[in-house]
Amino acid sequence: MRVPAKGWPQVAGGGRVGGVKRVFLLALRDLRLEVRDRSGLLSVLAFFAVMLFIMALALGPEEGPLRRAAPGVLWVALAFGSTLLSTRAFALEVEENTLDDLLLAPGGKEWIYFGKLLFQMLLLLPLALLSLFMAAGLFYLPLERLLSLFLTLALGVLGYASVATFYAGLLSRLRGREVLLPLLLFSLVVPVVLASVRATLGLVEGLPLGEVAPWWQLLLVFDVVYLTASALLFPLVMEG
Amino acid sequence: MLGAVEVKMLKAAQPDRPDALTWVFLGLGLLLLPVGLYLALAAPPDVNQGYLARIMYLHVPGAWLGYLAFFVTFLYSLLYLFRQDPRYDRVALASAEIGLVFMGLALVTGMLWARPTWGVYWTWEPRLTTTAILFAVYVGYFLLRGAIEDPELRRKAAAAVGILGFINVPISYLSVKWWRSLHQTQSIDLTTGKIHMDPAMLQALLFNLFVFTLLYLGFVRFRSLLAAIEDRQEEA
Repeated sequence: MRVPAKGWPQVAGGGRVGGVKRVFLLALRDLRLEVRDRSGLLSVLAFFAVMLFIMALALGPEEGPLRRAAPGVLWVALAFGSTLLSTRAFALEVEENTLDDLLLAPGGKEWIYFGKLLFQMLLLLPLALLSLFMAAGLFYLPLERLLSLFLTLALGVLGYASVATFYAGLLSRLRGREVLLPLLLFSLVVPVVLASVRATLGLVEGLPLGEVAPWWQLLLVFDVVYLTASALLFPLVMEG
Repeated sequence: MLGAVEVKMLKAAQPDRPDALTWVFLGLGLLLLPVGLYLALAAPPDVNQGYLARIMYLHVPGAWLGYLAFFVTFLYSLLYLFRQDPRYDRVALASAEIGLVFMGLALVTGMLWARPTWGVYWTWEPRLTTTAILFAVYVGYFLLRGAIEDPELRRKAAAAVGILGFINVPISYLSVKWWRSLHQTQSIDLTTGKIHMDPAMLQALLFNLFVFTLLYLGFVRFRSLLAAIEDRQEEA
């Protein structure tokens, strides 16, 4: 008999569950475990705070240069900090030996990838928003166009997480995954960081939306390409 | 007990010597390499850049083979994931390794050329940056291969990196291109520094491209064979 993973919501009769529902079940279960644990979330949040603080000290205290450097600092902090969380997407499954149970579930395997990705997004987006507010405070960033800034955050984080989740799954059974993940990840997400930094800078400097939009398009292209490729490759790579 | 015929058949299935085609590629490549160098050195110097332009005869084949090799890795990684035959993975590995060497050559010769021409070793030109990113991706490819003990997981993971790394090329090229054009007032455009080629120079360049490609084919076949022998020893 299959032992349900810790925190897995009980499904009546253990019957078949549709793909989309599975994605949500998996993401919400992981989110619940992560929020209950707290230590991971708090350490990443602390990392963002410390990094932004140190960078502000290093680049400040004049208002102009600080504001100009802020988008770059914000996205580098996000990229570095998020790797701390990315390995957690599969870490618990490996620790508790439940990864094989997940993979044994009948039907396709893509839903595991999408569930983990949704979990990462649900974790990273609020954290990214918080660090945007921190950066706004420390780097004199105007937040008048919060909606557009949030769109940039969402597109950038999605692009980043789509690759990070895939690699986290790929490396989940390796001992050196914490070191390997950033090495593999950072060279791939260069376009995401570039486009996000430019879009954020454009919004902060008050450029018209027409000039920022190409960067959103680029992010969207990256997101679509890597989401599709990762979802297609994930079952091929994870099946033992 | 195996009879002589069986041993022969086994040997044919698992060769421990390069086949004739590999020797032809390697031999022809090595023979023609000095000819290519002679042509490169005998070609007329460039009107604007003088003798400096000769680095092109190494630089262009290096870059071409780097991209070709990584494209081959991409193709064979895909083939491996769909067919699950280790032979495809060995070709992908061989091609990536040789691609890394040629791409390193292209980066170094490019920097040596850039210093006297542009006054700097490095500039954030889209082609340069994309090449550097690709180089970093394949360094990661080999770090990953080295880190995984289980042969099957190693092949699968490497194939995934080989595929995801290569589809990044157009996206990163575009992103760096826009990144520069929006905020940089002074830019060094490779297209304005373009060499209008004399027929003799073009012939020498094409000949070198041909020779390097022959060498690449020979190297890939040779390296795949070495990988096959390594695999057999790992299994034994």
